[in-house]
Amino acid sequence: MMNTSYANVIAESDIEVAEQAAVVPDIILGVQDLRLKFPGEAAFVFKDLSLSVRRGEKVLLLGPSGCGKSTLLQVLSGIMPEMVEVPLRFKERIVPESRGVLFQDPDTQFCMPYIDEELAFVLENLCIPREEMETRMRQALDQVGLFFENLHVPINSLSQGMKQRLALASVLLADPEVLFLDEPSALLDPEGRKQIWEAIHSIAEGRTLVIVEHRIEEMMGLVDNVVLFNPDGQILGQAPPMKLFASFHEQLEQFGIWYPGVWEVFFMSRDGEKLLSLPKDAPRSSLADPLIELKQFYGYRQRRAVIEVEQAEIYPGDFIVITGPNGAGKSSLLLSLMGLLPTDGTYRLQGIDMSGDKAKKRRTEKAARKIGFVFQNPEMQFVADQVSEEIAFSLYEEGDDKDNISSLVRQAIGQFGLEGMEHRHPYQLSLGQKRRLSVAGATVLNKPVLLLDEPTFGQDAVSTFAILSLCEELRRQGIAIVMITHEEKLADTIATLEWRVVNGRLVERRLTKRGETIAKRNGAIGAWMGHE
Amino acid sequence: MNDFLIPHRVNPFHRANPVAKLICMIALFMLTLFTHRLDFIFYQMTCFLLLLVFFSGHRLWKISIIMTPFLIVFLASSSTMILFGKGDTIWWAWGLIQISQESFYRGIHIGFKAVTFASEGLLFVLTTPSVALFYALMQKAKLPPKFAYSFMASIRLLPMVWEELQIRRNALKIRGARSLRGGMKWIGGLKLYIVPLLVQGIRRAHRVAVAMETKAFDGKGRRSYYYPSEYSRNDCWVVLLLCAAVGAALLMSVFLPPFGVADVRYQL
Repeated sequence: MMNTSYANVIAESDIEVAEQAAVVPDIILGVQDLRLKFPGEAAFVFKDLSLSVRRGEKVLLLGPSGCGKSTLLQVLSGIMPEMVEVPLRFKERIVPESRGVLFQDPDTQFCMPYIDEELAFVLENLCIPREEMETRMRQALDQVGLFFENLHVPINSLSQGMKQRLALASVLLADPEVLFLDEPSALLDPEGRKQIWEAIHSIAEGRTLVIVEHRIEEMMGLVDNVVLFNPDGQILGQAPPMKLFASFHEQLEQFGIWYPGVWEVFFMSRDGEKLLSLPKDAPRSSLADPLIELKQFYGYRQRRAVIEVEQAEIYPGDFIVITGPNGAGKSSLLLSLMGLLPTDGTYRLQGIDMSGDKAKKRRTEKAARKIGFVFQNPEMQFVADQVSEEIAFSLYEEGDDKDNISSLVRQAIGQFGLEGMEHRHPYQLSLGQKRRLSVAGATVLNKPVLLLDEPTFGQDAVSTFAILSLCEELRRQGIAIVMITHEEKLADTIATLEWRVVNGRLVERRLTKRGETIAKRNGAIGAWMGHE
Repeated sequence: MNDFLIPHRVNPFHRANPVAKLICMIALFMLTLFTHRLDFIFYQMTCFLLLLVFFSGHRLWKISIIMTPFLIVFLASSSTMILFGKGDTIWWAWGLIQISQESFYRGIHIGFKAVTFASEGLLFVLTTPSVALFYALMQKAKLPPKFAYSFMASIRLLPMVWEELQIRRNALKIRGARSLRGGMKWIGGLKLYIVPLLVQGIRRAHRVAVAMETKAFDGKGRRSYYYPSEYSRNDCWVVLLLCAAVGAALLMSVFLPPFGVADVRYQL
């Protein structure tokens, strides 16, 4: 077996530490009295933190977003400060010699265009002779459940889930004794998430695992020990999973951890009940005129129809979730509605025909007046240098007067939980805050329709529930919410309608249970579904 | 985009060692640069265009698309010289514009040179995948892996930047950044594109670099190679073919000179 090291990047002191560790063979990695502070920040990320992991142990580092668990993983795996310089100090640190790291983003772990070349890159670093390379590549791919007849496959042709398994395979090539996993499934859809955890399960035997995740459903049978952090980077507790979940239930909830049953717990809570309740003044959506009508509607990319809608309507007060496999055309549907893709067929927006030749000019501008849009990556839609200006931007564009703007901005900041952040740069916000700001920016003008492209993607439970509550609040004001999501729970609970997109076609429009209840009360199921 | 550059058939030009080809190309560049005989450069252009068409392994329409910008360069550079160059045998004059026999010949000479450079360069680029080039440079030209891999990794990142640019353009359209048009506000508009793209780009590059380093890449040390880079008989074929092309151009310029101008440079 080939044990590798990149000892040349490890400081000498670490090697001494590793030698000391040999005396106590049980501890394979750890740090004692770690102090770490990012330049320019006032608070310490860690103050005198100690943690050690035994050989063969599978440890999960758990905590709220921003508590420093990923940073700790980087210190333990020798990325900080050896590769990423950060001011830090520790009494002692043991970095395992044979180690590998799997990161979060499947797109930024490769440097070569093809699968075989990427795997070869690792083998070349280890000076493996060329003749042995292919066998080793196939072995590694086999371990993660990937099979290719010919290995010369472009990495870009793989799904995100497959990419992440390829990244795991490339880490396994060096046969590391210790594996560090930094939220390996946070950016994957449910299918990919399942597969990567299956792969991790199957290679876990005989290895030491250090995992950072805020979604713990998938690793219940995997980890022996959970370390729970509080928002200040201190260890709250350390215990086997079941024991820890039992004694720290409240904290898990508070920190937004995705634990099994978190949805049910949320729906039992006051906020959850409020979200699901159906107040008397719920919009009488089916009796109003439709906001959007589509008939034989097509959206094109490079002259190929990527989305086809035979017929569909969106009414005020609808909460529509669009579901379907990756690449089915969900995003294309939203972009077509915004006029960002060439379209064909009937499309009426509040009675205005959007499909005529005349309408094609500046139709995005026209659509944007009625429809708010929230992008998957919030950073891509920020236009201002300050949170308050970001919210005010659209208001200025509309030419509102100053007093009115500042009162609306203040209201939005309160509504979206951004108090105290008014003068921050949008990029300096946390993941959840960025997401809420992007929704705030899109809704401040009170447009009748709001489209959201996977707004809960990669978010912790607390932010997810916050976004959903906000959307429901808007819905009750009569705004139609259309949301792409992979979260199966949404269709069953909060949404009123589910649209299923498969292979570039809107194949099913289904009234959910909640939708049915509302419609029955309004006495107009048929009209709502557009059959009458 | 990547598929666009995959040749539909391969020949010794594709199989030859990129370093050998690169040396040949540098020699050809030098030859072209120091050729002052109009007939010779005309036949050089003809020969290398023919080589490009028959040996690049790409279809004619693709080559035509790629060559279009160079034809514009041809027109631009030659017309400037034709209209404003020095000369004694005046054909036509109007104000500042003055076309002389000498300036005309020098003009088309420069144009031919531009197209010759383009054909030579494209012959290299279209027959050499970037990965093969960097592997050859590491093994045969002792290029430090640090540089080779940073180039190869960044090539992989380019399509992502392009994709993000389009997302950003859509986002700005939707946000309705109308007030930014006109006057000096284009600087603000530029900032709206550059800041988010740079932020994403730097973040991504940083992540790739860390991922590479954790896979035991140190950028300088010893390594084995998945693609061995060897010299072969193909290199001889390429050298012979290129020499034949230059030889043919030289012979034809001597025996079939279409212009009969010995040296296009202006002499007093």
